[in-house]
Amino acid sequence: MASRKRRGGSFTAGELNLTAMIDVAFQLLSFFIITSRPMDVLTNLDVSRPSPDAQQKDSQDQPMIRIAVFTDGYQINDKNVTWATLANLMAKLAEMSRTQTIVISSVADAPHESLIRVIDLCAQNGLKNVSVMSL
Amino acid sequence: MRKEEETYLSGNLTAMIDVVFQLIIFFVCTVKMQDDSVDARIRLAMAPHGVALEKKNPLQVTIDVDNRGRILLGNSLVETGVLKAILRKAIADSHQAVPIIIRGDAKAPHKDIKRVMDACTEVGLWKLEFAAYKEKG
Repeated sequence: MASRKRRGGSFTAGELNLTAMIDVAFQLLSFFIITSRPMDVLTNLDVSRPSPDAQQKDSQDQPMIRIAVFTDGYQINDKNVTWATLANLMAKLAEMSRTQTIVISSVADAPHESLIRVIDLCAQNGLKNVSVMSL
Repeated sequence: MRKEEETYLSGNLTAMIDVVFQLIIFFVCTVKMQDDSVDARIRLAMAPHGVALEKKNPLQVTIDVDNRGRILLGNSLVETGVLKAILRKAIADSHQAVPIIIRGDAKAPHKDIKRVMDACTEVGLWKLEFAAYKEKG
């Protein structure tokens, strides 16, 4: 059919009707733009478990910071603190030394979220030696 | 010259457009599948200050803990005994400490995370990683 038209010389570029295809293409485009959502950025927080001998060695070598996570609050070196105070103290302690050991312990019923929050606070202050212990 | 252009345009584009749409649909579907490999049932906690994850270590073992404290390994429920056996096997196969990623739900109680950590410690893995969202889309 096309060859017959070419021979006649009456073919025009607009003959192929693209309107429907463009309509569908825009429909698809808008569908995907609306339904897509940005990818989640994941992070992995490094922690270590204190091994029995390492723990004893650490406590002699340098002071370590003990943070306890409870269902309703936090403790730093056996002192009850609010989240804001804890964040302040950690920023100050991190300024002194970034290599000091942080031992985080958590009670059985505390949600995992609170533990992650404390580890994130350590990451924020550039503290790398984070151990997780359980009460 | 002009005549040649017209000859090109007169070609039947239907087949090509069909194939292009097939390709688009194929790629859209496969990309979606990749996203689904992250379990949507586990809502991770937020850790905006962590280091963004770049690439996966092929040796890594990801252990999921859902909000009811159940331990999942690759979508199947496991007990700590089985988990320990699997970890021992993974260590024996790779002849080195395997990186452990614990993907704990934000609402999972700590005691269940502890069960996983204790299982890892028992097989000799002291270095652990907790997965969290840096940014949530």
